[in-house]
Amino acid sequence: MKLVWKLLRQHISIPQFVGFFFANLVGVVIILLGVQFYNDYQALDKEDSFMKADYLIVNKKISALSGLTGKTNVFTKGDVEELGEEDFVERIGAFTPSSFNVRARFDVQGFVKFSTEMFFESVPDAFVDVQSDAWNYQEGNDEIPIILPKNYLDLYNFGYAQGKGLPKLSEGILGAMKLGIEIAGNGHSDSYTGRIVGFSSRLNTILVPEAFMQWANRQYASTDAVKEPTRLILEVNNPTDEHITTYLQDHDYETDEDKLDASKTTYVLRIIVSIVMVIGLVISALSFYILMLSVFLLVQKNSTKLENLLLIGYSPAKVSFPYQALTIGLNVLVLILAVVILLIVRNVYLGLFESFFPDYEAPSVIPALLVGLVLLVVVSAFNVVAVKNKVMSIWKRKE
Amino acid sequence: MDKIQLIDTLPDVFVNRDDIVSDIWKQKVELERGKLYLVEANSGTGKSSLCSYIYGYRHDYQGQILFDGEDISRYTVKQWTDIRKKHFALLWQELRMFPELTALENVQIKNKLTGFQKKKQILEWFDMLGITDKLDAKLGRMSFGQQQRVALIRALCQPFDFLLVDEPISHLDDANAEIMGRIMTEEAKKQGAGIIATSIGKHIDLKYERVFNL
Repeated sequence: MKLVWKLLRQHISIPQFVGFFFANLVGVVIILLGVQFYNDYQALDKEDSFMKADYLIVNKKISALSGLTGKTNVFTKGDVEELGEEDFVERIGAFTPSSFNVRARFDVQGFVKFSTEMFFESVPDAFVDVQSDAWNYQEGNDEIPIILPKNYLDLYNFGYAQGKGLPKLSEGILGAMKLGIEIAGNGHSDSYTGRIVGFSSRLNTILVPEAFMQWANRQYASTDAVKEPTRLILEVNNPTDEHITTYLQDHDYETDEDKLDASKTTYVLRIIVSIVMVIGLVISALSFYILMLSVFLLVQKNSTKLENLLLIGYSPAKVSFPYQALTIGLNVLVLILAVVILLIVRNVYLGLFESFFPDYEAPSVIPALLVGLVLLVVVSAFNVVAVKNKVMSIWKRKE
Repeated sequence: MDKIQLIDTLPDVFVNRDDIVSDIWKQKVELERGKLYLVEANSGTGKSSLCSYIYGYRHDYQGQILFDGEDISRYTVKQWTDIRKKHFALLWQELRMFPELTALENVQIKNKLTGFQKKKQILEWFDMLGITDKLDAKLGRMSFGQQQRVALIRALCQPFDFLLVDEPISHLDDANAEIMGRIMTEEAKKQGAGIIATSIGKHIDLKYERVFNL
């Protein structure tokens, strides 16, 4: 093969391959960086990892008049269906409130004791982004997973604990603790343990799994309990869509503007990252084109040599191999260098992230590496096939 | 491969001519392994075409060419590669060598593929043909006659059932032509192979089984 390579490397244009190398490097770096930055940014939002950014929570406005006119703030079946038919709605789910009495007891190492009336709500499990083993309930189980509003923790830490000189609690400590929960209604009264799965700043309610709620409502609710929801959760395809705002206004519905804004930011970021990645892809595609052109030119310039090799008994596969190895080698080199650049750049911006958010935990780089590998495999496969076809056309004397 | 048959074979370009008088075109010809044949031709009678057809390089002919009864127009790429590596050696009229490589490298590029001849044997042939001093010379710098000799050595660096030599001595003096003939026949004998030589006048003196006029 050494002699074959000595023959076929004739006419290799170093400037062309250097051009391809850097163009492709830029493209691949942009793509990998896009993937990685998006993942890293998403991780900033980790405290709400169980509620996706595209969710909106909608309720009816409560005005001074509504009490007098008898207008209730529940969503009727018709309301839900009408909203579900809107173009901006991807999915819709109702909050199911608890129709029984809940009392929670809270015991922190013997010296902080709370006991309070509270309530539960649930949404369809598809809207809760927690690993399924942490977010399920089976009948007969006396442990209930719970998601609490972040505000509760803030109220305690910056209001109550501050005033009373009590220790402040972190999410981690609370997560490790259990709540004593008593549920009563319909002639039953039972004790349960609540396990805090997380805190949400996007959701102002105490959330339990839907499976638990359905069972508990059957078990503890008096028959005349209200069944219709007062709040809806929506997954929208584009939070910046102005139809959302107008629709909500027209129907006297409310949603939290801040949350809509947060959704908008994430949405815009996603679009920007997508655009940047498309640019990276275009650069990569163009550089791939340069590579193919230079390889074709090379094959063309060396076509007599290639033909003679085929005529003295070299198989098309053997003759194609040096050029295939050359392109694959270049692609691998580009990927390695791109990953090195990615890690360096990432180090810089991760430093920034960490200075803003000390709790920040950087996610893994594996998704970006996988994207790079997939690109490598796809592009190399194209190269291999293209070179082989070119050699076959020499075999068939079509050149 | 023991037998090459040409049945009503005719180059496409001759199809409209009715003045073809030939021992090969439009005839039934059988070439057997182990025998020597000479194809004499005038320029323009399709000698190089004949070589290209038999070697699977060109297919612009009518009629049939059969190897051991099998029509070669149905051969796959793999079959042709196999034939060129193990069954059929060809010394092209235009040599088809690599001017960028040295004389020895030109031979080795074939011998590395087949692993057939010992280096000692190759060097011996270089010596017999009087080009030992050119072993490491770039082929492009050598005369056509010298290149012809290297091309023969390359052609012999493979197992073959037939050796097809297209005007092998066009640029050689009689002494070298005689040596070449000896090397060829010796090697063919060793392998039990047949030789098909072509010429447009000057030809190696061998004990030909049959002489065809193309």
